[in-house]
Amino acid sequence: MDWESLMQPLILPLVKIALLIFIMMTAAAYLVLLERWIAAWVQDRKGPNRVGIPLTKIRMFGLGQPLADGLKFIFKEEYTPGHVEKVLYTLAPLSIMAAALAVFAVVPIGDVLPIELPGTSGPIQLIVAPHIDVGMIYIFALSSIAVYGVILGGWSSNNKYGFLGALRSSAQLIAYEIPLGLGILGVVLAAGSLRLDAIIYAQAETGLWNVFAQPLGFSVFVIAAFAEAARLPFDLPEAEQELIGGYHTEYAGMKLLLFLIAEFLHMVVAAFLIVILFLGGWHFWGMTVDASQPIGWPMAIARIAILAIKVLLVIVFFMMVRWSWPRFRFDQLMNLAWKVMLPLGLVNLVALTIAYEYEYVNDLDGTTRGLWIMVAVGWAVALVSWVLAAVFSPLHTDNRPRRDVTDAPEYEYEPETLRQILATGTQRASANGP
Amino acid sequence: MNTLLVMIGGATLLFAAGLWLSLPRGRAPGRALGAVLVAAGLGLFAAETISLGSALADVVFYLIAGLTVLSAVATISFRNPVYSAIWFALSLLGTAGLFLFNGAQFLGVATIVVYAGAILVTFLFVLMLAQPEGQAPYDRVSWAAPLSAVSGALLVGLLTFVLADVFQNPIVEERPVAQVSETELVEGVLADQHMATLGRWLFGRQLVSIEVIGTLLLVALVGAVAVVGQIHHRERGGPMHG
Repeated sequence: MDWESLMQPLILPLVKIALLIFIMMTAAAYLVLLERWIAAWVQDRKGPNRVGIPLTKIRMFGLGQPLADGLKFIFKEEYTPGHVEKVLYTLAPLSIMAAALAVFAVVPIGDVLPIELPGTSGPIQLIVAPHIDVGMIYIFALSSIAVYGVILGGWSSNNKYGFLGALRSSAQLIAYEIPLGLGILGVVLAAGSLRLDAIIYAQAETGLWNVFAQPLGFSVFVIAAFAEAARLPFDLPEAEQELIGGYHTEYAGMKLLLFLIAEFLHMVVAAFLIVILFLGGWHFWGMTVDASQPIGWPMAIARIAILAIKVLLVIVFFMMVRWSWPRFRFDQLMNLAWKVMLPLGLVNLVALTIAYEYEYVNDLDGTTRGLWIMVAVGWAVALVSWVLAAVFSPLHTDNRPRRDVTDAPEYEYEPETLRQILATGTQRASANGP
Repeated sequence: MNTLLVMIGGATLLFAAGLWLSLPRGRAPGRALGAVLVAAGLGLFAAETISLGSALADVVFYLIAGLTVLSAVATISFRNPVYSAIWFALSLLGTAGLFLFNGAQFLGVATIVVYAGAILVTFLFVLMLAQPEGQAPYDRVSWAAPLSAVSGALLVGLLTFVLADVFQNPIVEERPVAQVSETELVEGVLADQHMATLGRWLFGRQLVSIEVIGTLLLVALVGAVAVVGQIHHRERGGPMHG
């Protein structure tokens, strides 16, 4: 067996995987620095600006901070508390990290590179698994595997804060997967494919990004993506003031680092998906797009750069939102998912289906008139249903106690108990003795 | 033919004995021996199947298949149900890997989404919430261990026998089953429009079955909600709250 026959099935994918892991790990480290800079800027502080080249006075605006943080994590004691389930405790961070990295197998980080390698056919696609035709469902499958890491981490820690965080987190992840899927379905309908590169091409060929044609789907998807990535205002799994650290309360050292990187990678994936599904991927107006023509180096690099810049902007948006919005209460979170996001997503999907069927029947597919119809339908549905949701949805922002809960018979105290509480300040005072 | 029958029979016996030994049966010893017997039986089964033609494909296939079957055995032989659930998840991942290996991409990822992502997570919830202090003794033993071991081993043995028989005596004129022609593969499972083809088939030829299954699931869901609503109603002693 010569090495040329191994190029396509083995060497090329391994090189791509190695590059991708390197890029993602470095990006995660430097995105933490970016997040701290943005946090500092929002809070009118200076932020990390000291760590530069060691043993010199060169500071380099704090660009050495991620390396220093990484070294600190590596040299920390690998402490395992005595009360944990050791096997699952070790397995949890590994599984969540593996799932978070495996998602990138179907995410394109550009279009193609115009290189002809021996043993391969055509230019190199900038996607690890170019022949996966079910890309979106694959991402869904892996994000549901990530739930395991959270549940196992919280349960095996044998800690109440950890377990509460894990329960909250998995309930949240499962609930928001539904609006997320509904948002995706509209895009899949528009592109006619589950492949992320095909979805980009569909937007590039018409020049109409999905965000303009499906504003309602975009809002539903972005909000659900925030919840899936557990970013503020949806960071209940590790609400610091309530749960210390949530499901990774008992973790330290490298295992904690794995959890944190996996969370960051979730955000990066969410940003990639928002850009690819709704913001046109590597497309920008004025670029010549013809799938049949081979592209040269300048165009290939331009496409990578445009995609990267868009993703970076979305990530900055994620980071700005973190300091702009207070955290939801858990019942508000669930209400939002089931009573607002789910109906909005359904309305969006049904409206789009009808519009596409109308276009298909009247042979308007891909024509300018058809595109205008889609935009009109999208915005009309978005405005009407958004106003309806605002007027008729239950008032989640009310922070007073819910009357239907507090007035229920089982929550009322017996007069004796109530007197006791008022007298001593505690309910169990008499049971526990003076 | 006869040697094949003897080989498969022996493998089935070994596998059944191994399964019985490794099932949780109170304090019965011999679980390590059971694991060895299970591995030996599986090895014998594997020896009767054929090579896939390329060394790379062979290695990948037997790795995934071995992982799948061994984690399935681990699922039923572990005492702690949480560990059983994790092994079951691993077995499902292996199954999905086998689907992917054969080009059935949608089945592969759908297995993960539906079984590992939805059903098993619910199991895990229940297991973790229900028995925080550990399991009661009667939950730690498997019931009717010999019967289940024998029937499981028989099933695996029969399937392997049928498969090995087909491999060794191909029915279709002189065409070994494993060597499907290139064009068939390219037009079938390896098609670029794999998902679109499958979707067209499901919602064209199989439309009625799909609708019936969907309705069945909906009815089950409505039933579950009705049951919960009744309990709620009885406990409150009044009309249901929203």
